[in-house]
Amino acid sequence: MITAGIDAGSRAIKIVLFDIQRQTVFATAVCDQGTNQKVRARRLYDNLLRENGLGHKAIRTLVATGYGRHMLDFCDTTVTEISCHAAGVLHHVSDATTVIDIGGQDSKLIRVGADGKVRDFVMNDRCAAGTGRFLEVVSQRLNIPLDALGPAAERSEHPAKISSMCVVFAETEIIGLLAGGQSCENIIAGVQRSIAQRTVAMGGKDIAPPVVFTGGVALISGMKEALERLLELPVNICPAPQFTGALGASILAAKYET
Amino acid sequence: MMECSNTNNNSNCPQSCINSRFDSMIENCCEYAERAREAGKPIIGIMCEYTPRELIMAAGGIPVCLCGGSEEKIAPAENDLPTALCPLIKSTYGYCCTQTNPFLEMSDLLVAETTCDGKKKMYELMARRKDMMVLELPQKPDAPHAMDHWLSELRRFRSFLETRYDRKIADAGIWKAIETMNLERALRRRLAEMNKQTPSVWSGLQLLAYKSIISGIDEDLEEYRRLIACGANAAGSEKQSCVRVLLTGVPTVHGAERVVEIIENAGGAVVCMENCTGIKPLLEDVSMDASDPMEALASKYMHLPCSVMTPNTRRLEILRRLADEYDAECVIELVWQGCLTYDVESYYVRQIAEEMSLPYLKLVTDYSPSDSARIALRVEALMETALRAQA
Ligand code: SF4
Ligand code: SF4
Repeated sequence: MITAGIDAGSRAIKIVLFDIQRQTVFATAVCDQGTNQKVRARRLYDNLLRENGLGHKAIRTLVATGYGRHMLDFCDTTVTEISCHAAGVLHHVSDATTVIDIGGQDSKLIRVGADGKVRDFVMNDRCAAGTGRFLEVVSQRLNIPLDALGPAAERSEHPAKISSMCVVFAETEIIGLLAGGQSCENIIAGVQRSIAQRTVAMGGKDIAPPVVFTGGVALISGMKEALERLLELPVNICPAPQFTGALGASILAAKYET
Repeated sequence: MMECSNTNNNSNCPQSCINSRFDSMIENCCEYAERAREAGKPIIGIMCEYTPRELIMAAGGIPVCLCGGSEEKIAPAENDLPTALCPLIKSTYGYCCTQTNPFLEMSDLLVAETTCDGKKKMYELMARRKDMMVLELPQKPDAPHAMDHWLSELRRFRSFLETRYDRKIADAGIWKAIETMNLERALRRRLAEMNKQTPSVWSGLQLLAYKSIISGIDEDLEEYRRLIACGANAAGSEKQSCVRVLLTGVPTVHGAERVVEIIENAGGAVVCMENCTGIKPLLEDVSMDASDPMEALASKYMHLPCSVMTPNTRRLEILRRLADEYDAECVIELVWQGCLTYDVESYYVRQIAEEMSLPYLKLVTDYSPSDSARIALRVEALMETALRAQA
């Protein structure tokens, strides 16, 4: 029996088909979000089924999650990304206690109880400074591609101090740092530390291991280390972190009857 | 995802309680206030639940609540006030500086208290336009001198009204006003307490709508009675599968109901509101046993558990009790951006929720709808957590 999860995020649409009996991922697909999320998601889903020789009836339940979840009216139900990320992470790391999810415009910290249920969560408010958006801004401003940020940060000797509470002002701050002769390496490391600080601060003092890091930003090298330094705890990157939400949705789909 | 029968248009209820006299509350109050003014009664604006409406009524005045719930009034207020201030303060002031609140324009006098710093300083600016009486509210409610001081402030208020309106306020007149206010509180309390049962009778939005910015209007009291009867007939007629929410924190005044709406659209049933637009001011009546009505008033109002008090242990006791009595399945705390006292106090509220194993969510926002989708996401996730905790 196969279920499906679609994560309509702020940057990309991700789909996971999940084999319930075998408890394994059956197939995945991803595409950019584009302007018409609903049409793109539908096309991506249809193609994925076709490529795998599946008809629509072969999918028992289809769950939508992510920022655009309510737009995908061809899905059976919606579940928030908070529950989905927790479920997705637990599939890989069954004893995860803290889930840190940093995406394109959100960052979340989810605490999971011993019973595998979400105990409590916090999210960034109106500001994007603690999210992936901040890394994009730096990458554009310094003209260094996203995937080269990590190696650059590793060369930093004194991460710059970035204190702005808002992405727009932080960008001004970066311009000031550049003008003051700071190296790109120190600025990148400073930005990564600032994102990590923002995320850790949301959780207060109550962050218990095992800590699992997920979301698109987990793929950017240097971020895991920045979190580890602040938490003084090992941080595990969730396998295929960009798919955690969709995976969780497909797993939770098994619990909803259509 | 959730099937919920208890949304804004409470399907438990017959049409007769969905259509209520309170649908045209502002119009009703406008008409009432204008008639009163023609009859020579002064309109007196109040902005906080610490003001004893009874004294104003005994002086022949009409107390009207002037708290602002409109986002539109915030920008004009920011010409004079800092952006970081609580939206409730800014909106109230915005009405004042744009001269757009008919009740404020009609007011002969404003009554204010020393509650939070933001209000206190805003009142100074507001006092440039209207005469204002500021009552000094002690903030350590259980300190030995607190009650004496509050009582002397209320006595000062009474003689101020006597001089200003050139009439003697007799004790008998105060007792009569107390009786009216106690009756109104009792009726509103009965209405709110109907939600102790499962399924609840009213949505949070309905309860918010079933009140008036002017107290003691006969037709309103009649309407409360009608709604109580109506709710009693409709009760329990439908299966309910939503999450029972205890909402606490700042008041959601007329026009600022957005968060309650978001919660109820996301599958929550706001069964109880522990705030100044909910049950908080209704929990205690003015005692009719005392020999001095002023002492009875001082005692009731001094006990109001607002976060400006320190320590505000009464609120925490009440929260525990309400969570229990209303069978709450989660606690949502609303804090207006810039409201330091409720923001800090949320520390204890979270603790209580954890002690009671109730999922807890704190929302810090203002009147602008720009974060509605983000709030909805968090509320939906809380509902999922609460439902899974039951499962
Ligand atoms: S919350 Fe406090 S300051 Fe605001 S109306 Fe209530 S008692 Fe007054
Ligand atoms: S919500 Fe807070 S800051 Fe705003 S008026 Fe009430 S106590 Fe003051």
